[in-house]
Amino acid sequence: MAEQTQGAVPLSAVIADAATGVALALRGEGGPYALSGILRHGDALTPAAVRVLGADALAPYAMEHRGAQAGPEDEAVVRQALAAYPPGADATEVSAWTYRGLVEASHAFLPAGAQPWPAPPEAGTGWVAQTPWPRLSHRVSQLAALALPGLAPGLAEQLAARTDDLSRGFVRAVRRRDWLQAAGLGRWLARLPDVAPTLGLDSGLAFVRQMGGADPRVTLHIVAAQRFHGRGW
Amino acid sequence: MVTDRTAPVETATLAAEVEGLLAPAEADGVFRDTRECSSALLIFGLLLISPPTPRPKTDNR
Repeated sequence: MAEQTQGAVPLSAVIADAATGVALALRGEGGPYALSGILRHGDALTPAAVRVLGADALAPYAMEHRGAQAGPEDEAVVRQALAAYPPGADATEVSAWTYRGLVEASHAFLPAGAQPWPAPPEAGTGWVAQTPWPRLSHRVSQLAALALPGLAPGLAEQLAARTDDLSRGFVRAVRRRDWLQAAGLGRWLARLPDVAPTLGLDSGLAFVRQMGGADPRVTLHIVAAQRFHGRGW
Repeated sequence: MVTDRTAPVETATLAAEVEGLLAPAEADGVFRDTRECSSALLIFGLLLISPPTPRPKTDNR
């Protein structure tokens, strides 16, 4: 982890707190959700935490019966994250896609306000067909936030062609006890249409929640798979 | 527990940390190899049921 000024909360702790808040909102608990309520505008780590959570920071606004509408404070928090952490010229595919996911989610779930949202940046999908299945699974698990309904339809289409490979990756992640990867993959598989019933995705997701639920990001993925795609127990 | 979220942080190191959190390297798997476990169990079982080492008789009669 990078060095931070003594006395500061680690970024991972801020992200974990925010992930817990999002998961609670997706479960319908904890009162009306506001992104600016769990990550305050003006806090030093807020833009970084929003950038890492990506589209998931706005996931509660994607629910049909949500408790609260996004306000100008939420918009300001997201704009700050987009401005502070754009993917660089040598950015990884994951960095480019997560940034695109946050932009797409802003278009879909937040009001534009006085200023329009930036256009979603280009992000390639060539790697989906070319990457060996273990590495593909690892990478796709890092893009779990893009499994929100309606986001990244082109990527979802490409991934659907590799459903069996992602299913293998899910089993592999469970065997390796890599709960975060398993939860992210399971969330994507919950969105894909042709997952083999023999995979046992529902019980698999329940198992991952049971074993890895201490990590708030694991819980967030499992709750999102259940809330938006009706998978898992 | 420290809870100062307004403490200043280095922008460059934070940007690097964000990239690291977005795409971390795959963690080493933690799993048990069934073949290794069964081999260890077999060796333990054989040791347990093996007859005692023959000793020279001490009876001089």
